[in-house]
Amino acid sequence: MDWVYLIEVLVGGLMSGVMYSLVAIGFVLIYKSSGIFNFAQGTMLLFASLTFVKMTENGIDFWTALFIAAGIMVIFGIATERYVIRPLANQDLLALFMATVGLATFQEGFSQFIWDSDVHGLQMSKFLDIGLLDPAPIFVSDHIPWLDILIPKFDIFASLVAGSLIVILAFFFQKTRTGLSLRAVSDDHMAAMAVGIPLQTVWAIVWAVTGIIALIAGLLWAERVSVSFTLIEAVMKALPVILIGGLTSIPGAIVGGLVIGVGEKLGEIYLADVFGGQGIELWFAYFMALIFLVFRPQGMFGEKLIERV
Amino acid sequence: MIYRETGHFVTNYLKDREIFPLKFDKIIVILGLLFLYLYMPTTSEYMLSAHVIPILAVGLATVGLNILTGLTGQLSLGTAGFMCVGAFGTYNLMLRMPENLMSLPVALLLSGIFAGLVGVIFGLPAIRIKGFYLLVSTLAAQYFVWWFFNSYAWFLNYESSGVVAIAPHMYDYWGLGNLLGVDMQGYPARYLLALTICIGLTYFAKNLLRSNTGRNFMSVRDRDIAASVMGISVPRTKLLAFFVSCFYCGIAGGIYSFLYIGNVDLMIYEIDRSFTILFMLIIGGLGSISGSWLGAIFVYEFPILFTWVGDTIFQGAFNTAVVENVSNMVYGVFIIALLIREPGGFAALWATTKQKLRMWPYPH
Amino acid sequence: MTDILKVENVTLQFGGVKAITDISFNVKEGEICAVIGPNGAGKSSMLNVINGVYLPQIGTVTYNGVERRSINPRDAAIAGMARTFQNIALFQGMTVLENIMTGRNLFMKSTWLEQGLNIGRARKEEQQNRLAVEKVIKFLQIESIRKTPVSKLPYGLQKRVELGRALVAEPKILLLDEPMAGMNLEEKADMSCFILEINKEQGITTVMIEHDMGVVMDISDHVVVLDYGKKIGDGSPKEVMANQDVIDAYLGVSH
Repeated sequence: MDWVYLIEVLVGGLMSGVMYSLVAIGFVLIYKSSGIFNFAQGTMLLFASLTFVKMTENGIDFWTALFIAAGIMVIFGIATERYVIRPLANQDLLALFMATVGLATFQEGFSQFIWDSDVHGLQMSKFLDIGLLDPAPIFVSDHIPWLDILIPKFDIFASLVAGSLIVILAFFFQKTRTGLSLRAVSDDHMAAMAVGIPLQTVWAIVWAVTGIIALIAGLLWAERVSVSFTLIEAVMKALPVILIGGLTSIPGAIVGGLVIGVGEKLGEIYLADVFGGQGIELWFAYFMALIFLVFRPQGMFGEKLIERV
Repeated sequence: MIYRETGHFVTNYLKDREIFPLKFDKIIVILGLLFLYLYMPTTSEYMLSAHVIPILAVGLATVGLNILTGLTGQLSLGTAGFMCVGAFGTYNLMLRMPENLMSLPVALLLSGIFAGLVGVIFGLPAIRIKGFYLLVSTLAAQYFVWWFFNSYAWFLNYESSGVVAIAPHMYDYWGLGNLLGVDMQGYPARYLLALTICIGLTYFAKNLLRSNTGRNFMSVRDRDIAASVMGISVPRTKLLAFFVSCFYCGIAGGIYSFLYIGNVDLMIYEIDRSFTILFMLIIGGLGSISGSWLGAIFVYEFPILFTWVGDTIFQGAFNTAVVENVSNMVYGVFIIALLIREPGGFAALWATTKQKLRMWPYPH
Repeated sequence: MTDILKVENVTLQFGGVKAITDISFNVKEGEICAVIGPNGAGKSSMLNVINGVYLPQIGTVTYNGVERRSINPRDAAIAGMARTFQNIALFQGMTVLENIMTGRNLFMKSTWLEQGLNIGRARKEEQQNRLAVEKVIKFLQIESIRKTPVSKLPYGLQKRVELGRALVAEPKILLLDEPMAGMNLEEKADMSCFILEINKEQGITTVMIEHDMGVVMDISDHVVVLDYGKKIGDGSPKEVMANQDVIDAYLGVSH
């Protein structure tokens, strides 16, 4: 076995796993605070990144565009809570899920309607002078002689962004008053309301924060893949990630992303021949998640439910 | 009072169970059947090929998804995958079985059964996995089936373009064409076959819904622990729902490929179609069979109507991208608005209308 | 009279929490046995162990002469156990009639194919079972809400429908979890009458969890008292009333 090759595959897998995790974090945030399975996460990515890219294409500078796009996502998040989630507050979770399916469909149509349906590239190095955005990869053998592999610098940049995002979220959850309310709400809606936490405000904040996370994730995905409706399908891979992770846990989203990312790459290399065809990564992630869930139905970090009757 | 229930008394429990208890309903149904069987085939080929047959195909798939999601509460995003199994199954049965043994209706039925069995395999995890977690199983089905038929060229008879046209002789079954002097590949004949299958399966679904099996489905959806305490086998009920649902979807796929577009094309069965059918289900109303048909008609016809409006009023101002984007926006708005205002979808709106008709012209 | 149900040394725990500790008691055929005790005493858990919703770590349940540690709820139903739940577990998306009809599912022998085609056995069965359901509907005096979705009914009526759903299964033993919780006096009186009549006329053994001591003393033949997952009293209503432990549990003890 070629160890160097294996390490290259593993690193590649970890990096694409980070990309899944970035999407998964947004899912988890909403699920944790309201029990809503937000199917619109993917289209939020599309909407955010498309808005940003169109603005830069029209000559708006990077930071202004980022600021405006973030503002739009915040407004969108608050509007979603006000006009979609709040009127459905007492409905069952299936109805709320379907509402987010509706939201996703609307958003898919809307973002391409006001902008366009073309494929857009994004190259952040054009705007930002950060060494890590340089398209040339890192030759690891320059530093560790026996390890002759390449790592795209951008992947490291993405991992750093993901890492700082988690640190910020953790700080937000643990140290701020809003974070505390959020945790209270996620534990028990009724009890949180009873002690005077404004549920709807908290949910509006969650949707707004999720919008900003979608923007960040969307930009990174845009740089890596490009902006077009295919982004939505790529993001579907976040579903097995959060399901493996257990829906309610941010560490779960990270670990789940890495597991899927690495597993997919290993599968493509070692199992593709067994199945006599290429492209098994189309479905391999779902099968991994499926097999995992059969043994542990609540996911890796999910809470086991004891059904009371 | 156009429509009334007064003066209608049920004298035994058998009558209480009728699908159409009112005389008025019965007359409407008979007139409807006469319309569908006698008048519709004589309308234009365009009417049949561009409107009626595709609606029959996707509507049947919606009824199928309804059995699984609406009645049994098992969320599925794999509808198009199961349709794909049906389409490829029908094609391969017709292609590979001796011509005198296999006929189109039988091939549709068999591939429906086959799709049902595939559904049962992907339904097995439902015994342990609940709620949203089950999405992963139906997504696995969707992507795996698609990849499978894409990877093994044998199923497409080694057609490298990914699309294979259906040979004209495959449409002829039981010598009916010669016997009646009809072109069996023509749209009227295709339509009548699709219609008969759809009416039969809709009737079957209605019966299931008001029988023990339907109640078992709903009890698993509403409260699975209580269901098992009542002696209902929850795993068996879930798997049966997967089988019946995917059976419907499989046949719908066969109808789509054979009777509507006339070729087997993998691109038709991508995940987008699963979503389209989910929209039809939600807009029509979960749990209502007639709602599924209403939803299918709306979701299928809206883009056509919108294009027509663009062409006639705005001189063709809307290109396909605009139509698609606006349609998506409209579906999204409809789904959300219905969930908020009328979670029962079009089916519930229809019931309210009937209620109003009953009172007409007195508002209260 | 023979014992239809014997609970022996049952211990049930969730994680580290013991819900039930070493409980044994017998239920005689044809009696009304009340299980009482303060909140959190393990009463509902006890019923859940009896019909197999929970699996106890230690102990056995002997029902109808068959001793076992666990039974699955479906087998329990087949063996003639029917029950209601503390927090009503009706099928909320269905009508009253449909809910009660589900109670007859074990009597339906036709296959789904026959039912879908609506032929032969399926048709006949549906009608025969409907007759049995109508008898129960009449007995419980809920004829007028037959076709109402249960989600639209008030609490008291829902409890009644749930009793109907259990009763229509023609059980040998009926497990009722707080059938009168949250009811007013009149509703309680109705419910007590139903339970007594089911027991006396149809001879169905009844195990009932109830908080209202008045009702318990009036209608039960046998009372089991639980406190903190342990059995502290077992006997006729009079004996239990005189039991010092029971008095302490209910009124508190001065230390």
